[in-house]
Amino acid sequence: MKFKTSMSVIALAVGLASAGPVAAQEKPSSLGVGIFTFTSGPAAAYGMPGKNAADLMIEQINAKGGIGGVQVNPIYVDEAQGTQGIIAEYRRLAGDPKNQVMMAALSSANCLALAPLAEQLEVPTVGWNCDTHQLLMDGKSKYVFRPNGNTVPEFIAYAIYLLAQKPDVKTVAIINPDYAFGHDAAKIFKAALQALKPDIQIVAELFPKLGSPNYQTEISRLATARPDVIFSNLWGADLENFVRQASPRGLFTSSQVVLALGETVLQRVALPDGVIVGVLGDGWWMSPDAKANAETKKFAEAYKARFGEYPVFPSIKMANTLLYVQAAYKTAMQKNGGKWPTRPEIAEAMKGSSVATLTGTMKTRSDNDGVVDQIVGVTAKSPDYPFPVIGGMVRYKGDALMPKEGQDPIAWISTLTPEFAKSLPKPGSYK
Amino acid sequence: MSNTVIPLLLDSLASAALIFFAAVGLTLVFSVLRVLNVAHGSLYSIGAYVAASICLFIVSRQLSPYLSFVALLFSAVFVAALFGPLIERTLIRWTYGKSEAVQILITFGLFLILEDVQRMVFGVQSLYEDAPMRLLGTSLIGGVVYLNYQIVLIGMAILVIIGLRLLIRHTRLGRLITAVVADREMAQSIGIDTNRIFILAFSLGVFLAALGGALAVPTSGVAPGLGADTMVLAFAVAAIGGLGQIEGAAIASLIVGFVRVLAIYYVPALDAVAPYAAMLIVLLIRPYGLFGSVTARRI
Amino acid sequence: MRISLAVAAVLALAVAPILAPWLEFVLTLAIAKGFAALGVAILLRAGLISIGHAMFFAASAYGVAFLARAGINDFAALVALSVLAAGLAGAVVGAFLVRYRAIFFAMLNLAVSMVFYALFAKLYGVTGGTDGMAVPVPSVFGIVLSEPAFKNTLFYGSLTLMVLVGLGVHRYLDSPLGHALSAVHTNEVRLEYLGIPVWAVLLIAYVVSAALAGLGGAITGFAIGRVVPDFAFWTASGQLVLVAVLGGIGGVPGAFIGALFLELLHSAAVTVTDAWNLIVGAALIIVIMFLPKGLYGLLARRAAVAK
Repeated sequence: MKFKTSMSVIALAVGLASAGPVAAQEKPSSLGVGIFTFTSGPAAAYGMPGKNAADLMIEQINAKGGIGGVQVNPIYVDEAQGTQGIIAEYRRLAGDPKNQVMMAALSSANCLALAPLAEQLEVPTVGWNCDTHQLLMDGKSKYVFRPNGNTVPEFIAYAIYLLAQKPDVKTVAIINPDYAFGHDAAKIFKAALQALKPDIQIVAELFPKLGSPNYQTEISRLATARPDVIFSNLWGADLENFVRQASPRGLFTSSQVVLALGETVLQRVALPDGVIVGVLGDGWWMSPDAKANAETKKFAEAYKARFGEYPVFPSIKMANTLLYVQAAYKTAMQKNGGKWPTRPEIAEAMKGSSVATLTGTMKTRSDNDGVVDQIVGVTAKSPDYPFPVIGGMVRYKGDALMPKEGQDPIAWISTLTPEFAKSLPKPGSYK
Repeated sequence: MSNTVIPLLLDSLASAALIFFAAVGLTLVFSVLRVLNVAHGSLYSIGAYVAASICLFIVSRQLSPYLSFVALLFSAVFVAALFGPLIERTLIRWTYGKSEAVQILITFGLFLILEDVQRMVFGVQSLYEDAPMRLLGTSLIGGVVYLNYQIVLIGMAILVIIGLRLLIRHTRLGRLITAVVADREMAQSIGIDTNRIFILAFSLGVFLAALGGALAVPTSGVAPGLGADTMVLAFAVAAIGGLGQIEGAAIASLIVGFVRVLAIYYVPALDAVAPYAAMLIVLLIRPYGLFGSVTARRI
Repeated sequence: MRISLAVAAVLALAVAPILAPWLEFVLTLAIAKGFAALGVAILLRAGLISIGHAMFFAASAYGVAFLARAGINDFAALVALSVLAAGLAGAVVGAFLVRYRAIFFAMLNLAVSMVFYALFAKLYGVTGGTDGMAVPVPSVFGIVLSEPAFKNTLFYGSLTLMVLVGLGVHRYLDSPLGHALSAVHTNEVRLEYLGIPVWAVLLIAYVVSAALAGLGGAITGFAIGRVVPDFAFWTASGQLVLVAVLGGIGGVPGAFIGALFLELLHSAAVTVTDAWNLIVGAALIIVIMFLPKGLYGLLARRAAVAK
């Protein structure tokens, strides 16, 4: 009788323990990952390559057994529904314990909106495209990670490259989309130019509304200002529209144009030679490092076969972020002895991590910000492909262009000197 | 400073032409049917989508790119023929005599329906089709390279203004429309088939809306949301000019175009505010629009 | 019988989040929208259709964000001050707008609301532009709450306000001022002859409606945690009119019935289909054509038949 009672008590205890919502011992049937990107509207031109890469990468991961032996189940959220909608979606997804990680978001506005929510709801959230330097400024994030670096090194890189290519620049015009990303980039680029060549004049600054289809008046305005350089971090359909409307009107011949996100349209519109472009990081599928990595080549070819174009840098960023998440699970499971990790354990594993990606390395600092190298180059015709490729490349080391943890980025930029710029690798040195 | 005068004027005209095409159909429909069609913007974007789709088809089959000009016009006719009589008969006709609230809400419901119809039929990605723009080449005017297409658009807008004026004043149909506009009941009692006039007028409004969208495609992209953005701009222009006044819409387009271009050149932060601020200021001075007239209130 | 139905409905709402926690967010937003739609409905009574009331909704929401940024951290103070701000804006705008009728009233409201929208969207340095501003979790009567606890407080607070403010508005509509509104719709000139200043009657109604829209905006700002310029876009105003009509111009419950119905339907439909606008648009047309008294009228008719 006693034995039976004690057995039933033990059985009850085991039953209760395994009925717990986050049973650390048992592996779930699937790992839910909420992926936030734009799948409709003008931003989808940038967001769909991200989704495509996620589909392909997850398929490849699942074919090899999934993450920690568990199949990955992506749940896509379209950011086009607006901030209110995605906040509701995030809450809904976070409520299901099977969803352990969120990859959010594409738009800096949504990144800034979701970050406090991630901390409140304690869900590891990896910003696959959140480069706004405003995201982690207080340095106290526990659950928000941004492994692909931020706008500070990204746009300083363009200033350094530009001045190395064209040391006699006198006048610069800027046309960026009217929101955090556009304004941040303008601030950083201007501050960098100011520090490296103080006599540069900014002759025009335009911030057209995100999603504007028509840039004819802005193009006229830029033409009348006759700048030596036109800098733009327009992206998605906006960039495509701008290039299509600006090139017949001679903007690319009368000024040196810098398109910060230009690599995304190389396969879609005929950019002339000599346009300075980059990949906001190191994610170019044809970089020397990428070409030397067999896995990257395989991914690129599989992507082309399935989606009809080679993976642009948003695709690479998404793929790299998935590798980052996978690495976090591996680390977490090593630390806790092979058990399926909890959300806090995954966040802990992401802290201070260093992950090998398709195109380089993602290092995470103590403030959860990422350090990646920056690739910048110019467009050039290619004998092997029907679209322009990037030539005259340089690869700047990630930590060279990052301010220290907790340092005010703009203040740090103003301390840069022309000597510092000269000490960096030259354009064309990355072969 | 002096090198911006000519570009400023030319950009204003080019902007005004596009805005006029967006707004003229709305004000025309209001003048004849006394209905404010909130779905007007959707018909504009449907025209744009149809035109872009046909042009992309032409390019994919490697047919002569000059056919795309024909395609632009054809799209507008197609959309008008398909939607004009259909919408008028089923929805608009039901609202005659009812309160404005009802009219606005019915057409708002139609707007919502058409927004999703566009997504389902044309997809949610952006479309680009600039063959007509490229074919016409460029010109150097006032130190800035302009697209000849932009100048052609200005010409087309002037043609439409003259054409409408001729239609209203010098054709039998125009006189019938004038009669119906002046006094609907009287027109009916002397035997004018007002139903036919309404269908024709509404379809003409749809045609102008779709034409606006189609003509905008070569120099702009098409994406979801175009209808909603165009609607409120058309509203602003129609209100400034006086609801129902075609010449008013033309002048209002010039004002809105000029104000917007001025903002982009000198105060870029206010470029989106400009049209609505202009609308507010004009309506504060002349509440019924520049050319609008107060209709006597029946007690 | 009607009162017991209303009480039952309120109790059902109060219990719902306990049964289904994810509903709380949706219901909070629905109640907020209901307040704004009620504001629009008040004006509809006078035959005035405003396609711009989202501007007061947004003004109050931004008011909360600005006040929070300035250091005010008390929930009650934030709500009260921003509703006051919305009412003030309503007084300023309304003083001019209530001179107009019909289409021109609608269009002027639209114009002003789009100016608000454009300013919110373009003044990046002040309002955060299209990115919007954050709304932090405030303290409630001195108590600092965790985020989930605050959201619960917000929901039950909104529910209580719905009952209290609803009763207040009902009294208002039943008072001479409220009846004067319908009189304006029927025959305005006669009202003037009777010595009742129509302009004053309408202005009071306009300020009340702006304050109600503001209340909705404040609650929404807290619920979402972020305010964006889209709060003021013309389609948002259109949605408010839609909710008011859907619910039925029958009175206070109509606006809330319409809002709840729409939000619940939206939550359900969005998991199944992408064509949400189409459903709403078709529903709107059907309701206007075949159910002129709205959903409220449908329920009232059922109740009458049941007797």
